[in-house]
Amino acid sequence: MTTASISIRSLAKSYGDLTALDSFDLEVEQGSIFGLLGPNGAGKTTLIRILTTLMRQSRGDASIEGLDIRTEGRAIRCMIGVVSQENSLDRYLTARENLELHARLHGMEKRLYKRRIDDLLELMGLSGRQKDFPDTFSGGMQRRLVIARALVHQPRLLFLDEPTTGLDPQSRRAVWEYIRSLAGSMTIFLTTHYLEEAEQLCDRIAIMDHGRLIALGSTQELKDRLTGATVYEIEFTGQEADHYAALLGSMSCVLNIRQIDHKVTVTLECWECLSEIVTALNGAAIRRISLKERTLEDVFISLTGEKVRE
Amino acid sequence: MLFQFQIKAPSSSARLRLLNILIVCLRRLNPRRLDCIFDFKLSLRGSLAIWQRDMLILRRSIFSELVAVVAYPLTMYLAFGIGMQGYIGMVEGVPYSLFIAPGLITMTAVSAAYNESVWSLWFHRRVQFTIESYRVTPISVSEIVIAKIFTGFTHGIIKGCAVGLVIFMITPFRFPLEHLLQYLLFLIPGSAFFSCAGIISGTVMDKPETIGKVEAVLVMPLIFMSGLFFPLSSYPLSVVPWVRALPTTALFDGARRALVAGDLLPLSVLQVSLSAFLTFVAAVYIFRYKMSE
Repeated sequence: MTTASISIRSLAKSYGDLTALDSFDLEVEQGSIFGLLGPNGAGKTTLIRILTTLMRQSRGDASIEGLDIRTEGRAIRCMIGVVSQENSLDRYLTARENLELHARLHGMEKRLYKRRIDDLLELMGLSGRQKDFPDTFSGGMQRRLVIARALVHQPRLLFLDEPTTGLDPQSRRAVWEYIRSLAGSMTIFLTTHYLEEAEQLCDRIAIMDHGRLIALGSTQELKDRLTGATVYEIEFTGQEADHYAALLGSMSCVLNIRQIDHKVTVTLECWECLSEIVTALNGAAIRRISLKERTLEDVFISLTGEKVRE
Repeated sequence: MLFQFQIKAPSSSARLRLLNILIVCLRRLNPRRLDCIFDFKLSLRGSLAIWQRDMLILRRSIFSELVAVVAYPLTMYLAFGIGMQGYIGMVEGVPYSLFIAPGLITMTAVSAAYNESVWSLWFHRRVQFTIESYRVTPISVSEIVIAKIFTGFTHGIIKGCAVGLVIFMITPFRFPLEHLLQYLLFLIPGSAFFSCAGIISGTVMDKPETIGKVEAVLVMPLIFMSGLFFPLSSYPLSVVPWVRALPTTALFDGARRALVAGDLLPLSVLQVSLSAFLTFVAAVYIFRYKMSE
């Protein structure tokens, strides 16, 4: 039987009249990689700050590895590692000294942390730069150092708050590899704006908005939750795209239609409608008809809306 | 641990009353209560780690720090102590250069303590976010603030001693060793007081320009008007009690008398020490409150 690493019951946080978290319920299994998605201001950072004991909730309960966040803050902080949005590295300490300070704050003995830091610097590819100051590092190296710092005391639960924001694709993929390599050895709680990141890394994903949990499941489960509508992309070779777009748009089984140059994207009520479409297109010069796979982004937008948040 | 003490009181009933008061005070100071106030858990491991980090940084830049910190008071000493000496002559029975020397040493120490605390805390909280990284480790908020207070205090003592040493080396300013010990009774709580005040400023002020304004409008006037360059007798009689009520006056005036004349003013020591303690409690409370927001 798997037990919950994080258990949240009716958690709420208000700042005056503003409700940042509202009756939030969640369970995260031990050893899993859990992703939390939401637009800006959805309440993700508030939730992480409460779970990492940096902030008190207004109402509700939450526990980390069975320990109450209200009363067992110190014990919880012993077993969690936190990678915050900001790098928060000490620019006046070398890479190694940053890790050593963290180890001392965790009360580790020198003989234990010395070896552990050697291993982590090796794992993160920073051994050769351990005596350099973080200011001289690239963004990707700084991020790897922050992750290494969060792992020094061998946490059972790792919080990653937008760990790859601002990194180039290569550095982002390198960080993903490190996160994947940790899978199974600890629970990972990840927030991100990159939906591809969540799709690539997470076993389960929660989507929140306005402080509430609005969807929860695996990537596939979330995609399956979208309406039964099916989207096809039709690419015409000649100048007939306008004509056929108008024709398809008049059909009852077509829910939505969009045209960009020679490409027409049609949203059908269900996949069975495809035969009607093919019949209607009889004789048309078509280069390609392809089924457009639903992405996590489609799910995210359908649940949280397209409006840009302040 | 067993303590022995003797209560001196005019009668046995007065002694009994004093004993009762002492017992009540000790009960109120039990560790569990202290724990509620400061959240130490009787462990200062985190404070020690952060203080060691700050000392490592200080050690790396000690030369440039000392050059910068010695230059200002030394210039003041040369300009006022040497330059103005011929015009001012004796003040309170001592040459003017001797009169201002203890104040300059004290000013260096407390300014260094204040500046280190205020800027260090502001920088770590608002720019580098290292306070946040400390807070997700199993140390308490109180341990962080105590570390920063001790760092400011250490900066103050080291820099004050450095200025004192330079003044001692290049000027005829001399004093007996026992005066120095009495002087330290002011310098230590004085540096602690200013370090705690710096922590409060660094905690409540989010903009660096505000920190600069407070220093210009409050801290420096408090230092300069406490008899650093002139005796308190220069003030109108009606103002003197108000000026004497300031902890900075007790510090600067008391420190000078201790170092120059060997006069130890216990009430002034008490006033500075009490101010340091109250500011310490306030600093810890305000920092914890701010962190919980």
